[in-house]
Amino acid sequence: MEKVIMGNHAVSYGVQLARAQVIAAYPITPQTQIVEILSEFCADGRLDAKFIKVESEHSVMAAVVGASMAGARAFTATSSHGLGLMHEVLHWAAGGRLPIVMANVNRAMGPGWNVWTEQTDSLAQRDTGWMQFYCETNQEALDTVIQGFKIAEAVLLPVMIILDAFVLSHTMEPVDIPDQAVVDGFLPPYEPEFKLDPGDPHAFYGLVTPEHYMELRYKMHQAMRDAVQATQRIGAQFGDVFGRGYDVVEKYRIEDADIVLVTSGSITSTARVVVDTWRANGHKVGLLKMRLFRPFPFEAVREALVGTPKVAVIDRNISQGHGGIFAAEVKSALYGASQQPVLFPFIIGLGGRDVTPESIHSILNHTQSHDMPAEDSIWMEVKK
Amino acid sequence: MSYEIVFKTEADMPLLPMSLGSTLYNKTGSWRYVRPIYRNKTSPCNHACPAGEDIVTYLAMVTKGQYEEARQTILQENPFPGVCGRVCAHPCESECNRAQLGGAIAIHSMERFLADLPAPRTLPRLEVRDVPDARVAVIGSGPAGLSCAYQLARSGYKVTVFEALPAVGGMLRVGIPSYRLPRDVLDAEIEAIVSLGIEIRTGMRFGEDLGFEDLDDYHAVFLAVGQHRGLRLNVPGEDASGVAPGVEFLQRVNLGQETTVGPTVAVIGGGNTAMDAARSALRLGASDVAILYRRSRHEMPAIPEEVEETDQEGIRLEFLTAPVEVLAENGRVSGLRCVRMRLGAPDESGRRRPEVIPGSDYTVDVDMVIPALGQAAELSFLGDRAQVERGRIAINEAGAISRSPSGADRWPQGVFAGGDAATGFGTVAHAIGSGKRAALAIDRYLRGQALEGFPPLTAHLRVAPRDVDPTVVRFEDINLAYFTEEPRTVQPQRPAAERVKGFGEVNLGYTEGDALKEAERCFSCGVCNQCDTCWLFCPDICIRRLDSVPPSLEPGAQAYQVDYDYCKGCGVCAEECPREAIVMEEELKWRK
Repeated sequence: MEKVIMGNHAVSYGVQLARAQVIAAYPITPQTQIVEILSEFCADGRLDAKFIKVESEHSVMAAVVGASMAGARAFTATSSHGLGLMHEVLHWAAGGRLPIVMANVNRAMGPGWNVWTEQTDSLAQRDTGWMQFYCETNQEALDTVIQGFKIAEAVLLPVMIILDAFVLSHTMEPVDIPDQAVVDGFLPPYEPEFKLDPGDPHAFYGLVTPEHYMELRYKMHQAMRDAVQATQRIGAQFGDVFGRGYDVVEKYRIEDADIVLVTSGSITSTARVVVDTWRANGHKVGLLKMRLFRPFPFEAVREALVGTPKVAVIDRNISQGHGGIFAAEVKSALYGASQQPVLFPFIIGLGGRDVTPESIHSILNHTQSHDMPAEDSIWMEVKK
Repeated sequence: MSYEIVFKTEADMPLLPMSLGSTLYNKTGSWRYVRPIYRNKTSPCNHACPAGEDIVTYLAMVTKGQYEEARQTILQENPFPGVCGRVCAHPCESECNRAQLGGAIAIHSMERFLADLPAPRTLPRLEVRDVPDARVAVIGSGPAGLSCAYQLARSGYKVTVFEALPAVGGMLRVGIPSYRLPRDVLDAEIEAIVSLGIEIRTGMRFGEDLGFEDLDDYHAVFLAVGQHRGLRLNVPGEDASGVAPGVEFLQRVNLGQETTVGPTVAVIGGGNTAMDAARSALRLGASDVAILYRRSRHEMPAIPEEVEETDQEGIRLEFLTAPVEVLAENGRVSGLRCVRMRLGAPDESGRRRPEVIPGSDYTVDVDMVIPALGQAAELSFLGDRAQVERGRIAINEAGAISRSPSGADRWPQGVFAGGDAATGFGTVAHAIGSGKRAALAIDRYLRGQALEGFPPLTAHLRVAPRDVDPTVVRFEDINLAYFTEEPRTVQPQRPAAERVKGFGEVNLGYTEGDALKEAERCFSCGVCNQCDTCWLFCPDICIRRLDSVPPSLEPGAQAYQVDYDYCKGCGVCAEECPREAIVMEEELKWRK
């Protein structure tokens, strides 16, 4: 069934189809609509789940951790400062190897107080052990929720599904909502090997001495590594069932390209249009969309970019004192490659400033006209 | 029991930090040094009720719609809910913890609602007990006498009540006007008591129509003669025609005897009798009624609601004034000479003592003066047995000499005394409690049991006692996180202009909706009402609901069990309990 819905509701329908059993949430703009409609689903019986209202995002994550430990498929959604408040418990969810799925609507951190889109909130959580998926469209948001549970439960790591504030969260698009029966076939009920069970009680998450702590972290790292393949396998399987396949990255017209743009989130759609315009004018440009950010898909990135003369990475985020985070990560993936591209790191659109086709043209023009980037980070459209 | 497991490779390890063995062996309750115990305590309303009603329990029953159970709970202790729901001074409400969060629970309105339920009124007899074959004489058919007779008769004793007046009910009938206590309400409650098999003999004034020598057939006697003689003003001119003591005036009015009132009436006093007399005079056609009181409104002993209603009806309340002479013309009252008063230092009652302002004399024209300064008991029947102190019989409900042990031997065996004539409390609720106490004491006496250490009236003397801790729960013990300010529901009244035209009832009582709303406001101080807060909060999930109990579980009954194998004694349950029904006790005490 196709419906015209906003990105937030696309996430909600994905959660409903995934038959989440526990949803805990605290409202925050621009996420609130996700859990608002889910609370209605829970109230009117369209979703057989326990909806837990709590007093803060820290408690939200604690509640879904508890639910997941008890063997429930658990979901929440948040944004920006809400995600920041969860920080401590994000480690708990990952270290506890709990396959929680959370939607984070990218919103700039304050102050200055701001509700518009920027990726710094989610990227600041990159070391917590959560997988991170950046979505380009409403359809992708819905599809990634369903895949997200399957991937999370396969590798026993939590999954964060990320979409841009307003540009995606509040924008209506036609979205195909799959049949429940088909989703049920794709995503069977969650049956954990270990869970809280009064009939067979175990102690969870107690003290681990230096004797064993490192091994636990090593196993998480292995799981993260496995998660790349799991994402590819499950994304392909999703394509077989629903006709829309997914990979860890998406390559668009990069064959023989002199310049490849690296994008994530909704900027990708804008860049796709600009790439087509440049190609029509005879310029060899292409696009690499980063869908999976954690685990970082080193192989796929190298495979796509090595041999390309110039790569322009567009970051709608900033690691203060370093630069754009995608640029840094892409750079690290290319280190030691025999034909390293010249990488142009662009910072643009912070705090929700629009990134237009003209912005992308400017980025391509800059990249084309320079042999080397003039600065460590190239700040676009800053009023200097 | 602890040992270290060292894994050789990461592949042997679970992927998350968890114990591989079961934790069932680990009874974490062993960490506890204090344990939570469900223990119901005493609500302030129950503590304050002189009649010993279990108010907190019947309010809880109302919230569950168990109206008849609630009514029966009252009737265990008090056969007069219809009376008390209307005229009790409700000391329970003065103590109510809700007072600080929207106003005290309108307990009197709740009691009246239950009393007025249309279902047939049946008084609960006690389970047939093996009582001695004994007869008891009760002197006086007021609330104390009938309360005693009720409790004895329902236990199985044969009781005869002797009444001096032609009608039964004592002050309830002759002291309280029908606009506060309709006669059909009173008649129905008395009829229910009498129908338990009590013999009533009216027109038998003790000391005139019969005496102690006529009571040889009775194994015990309860003296509850009340206080029916009004205190005198003790000012010149008091014996003029047109001066009618309040109790006598009300007696004539209430017995339907012909009574005329002058157009201008002055009532002297600040108690309920003064209010009743003034309002009755107004209803009998007086055009100008004033109440003169020597202190201020704050010191008035009358129930504040009665004062408010009196005020509404256009009766003038004149404070800080006292008559010093009744003026008369041709032997009839023509006026009062009064002096202005001011309040000085507190007296032994804690109220500020009124003092005359020198030279403040003034006169007012009146046609009628009704002194209502208080009452005394008529105790001449005691003769040379006289053990009277401060105008009261000097024995109490337990038959003991209350003040002068030296005179004990002058009393015949088996004589008990109560009500206003012995206690002087002067309220219906105290009289009912006093009569009940006498009945319990007489029962013990007739069984040949000692009366030493018999509980005093101030304790929770119950026919149907509950297992509660005597600690009274106060406002600071209530967990205010669970309660919001909600206003008290006030019963409607007929408008003042309409009600002064006759003796129809002023207050109109609660609807069922009002009663439910008001009962829901109750904190249930100290008494578990199965709210589940402890069960929800226990971080060790070691509080279990006793699911075998029916949903209509009696209020206060234990509904939860603590699994002490796992309770760590954190105290969250006791801390969260909205009503202080859980105590934490040191574990060592339990080891003994």
